[in-house]
Amino acid sequence: MAKRGFIPPIQRHGDQYVFNFGEGESELLTRLLNELSQLVVGEADDERLVRIFPPAYHLATDAEADAEYQRLMREELVATRLSGIAVVNAALRATEPVDDETMTAFVQSINGLRLVLGTMLDVSEDMDPDDIDDEHPMAGEYHLYNFLSWLLDWAVRAMSEPLSEAGT
Amino acid sequence: MASSPAPAELDLPAIDDVTVADRPWIVLVWNDPINLMSYVTFVFQKLFGYSLEKATALMLDVHEKGRAVVSSGAREKAELDVFRLHEHGLWATMQHED
Repeated sequence: MAKRGFIPPIQRHGDQYVFNFGEGESELLTRLLNELSQLVVGEADDERLVRIFPPAYHLATDAEADAEYQRLMREELVATRLSGIAVVNAALRATEPVDDETMTAFVQSINGLRLVLGTMLDVSEDMDPDDIDDEHPMAGEYHLYNFLSWLLDWAVRAMSEPLSEAGT
Repeated sequence: MASSPAPAELDLPAIDDVTVADRPWIVLVWNDPINLMSYVTFVFQKLFGYSLEKATALMLDVHEKGRAVVSSGAREKAELDVFRLHEHGLWATMQHED
């Protein structure tokens, strides 16, 4: 028999959210987020960043406009990433309930990690990252990817409660 | 998909330039294997104020058809929408409306 019911990793309480993370989980997230911070200010053409900084204009005829967008907006995107990560790291240290703004930074940051990991793993529509054999050389990364997906899904679920009600 | 617009008869190029510049822009979100369906739906609701139904329908369009138009308007507005989608990690781009 289960000792007690399952406690979701993120729960909504009124207009705040509670992280039910173990110490190991918080430490892991902080470490990964610090790595992401270093990555986004590193080599501009790092292939792991293609999904973090995608093109804004996809047509070849708009190549000039895209170069201009990248020149002006990439720095902005880096700044949002870094400030978001700082907000999340502070929240993970504080272990107090967080507000909507912090949760937004949280989902953006967790998804940022997934984008980088998913790019490194070359995740595709044809495969289920859940089905990876433990013997796979990248099994650890796949487990991490699945953990982050699970976490993000719970975060979205918690944040969607009021949105869903307001939208119907 | 990435075809150029048909060349217009440019008897009056100055006027044609104006109409091209005034043509609205559309913001597209492309299907990708990383972003979660629940997350994409959530982002559409949050950024554009769409109802759960509309956001879900758009997300399914992206998933099944490969892309969907999620907003449109003047260039500045479209660029801002693309930027906000990029902040959330979605694969968004913009182009002139056909």
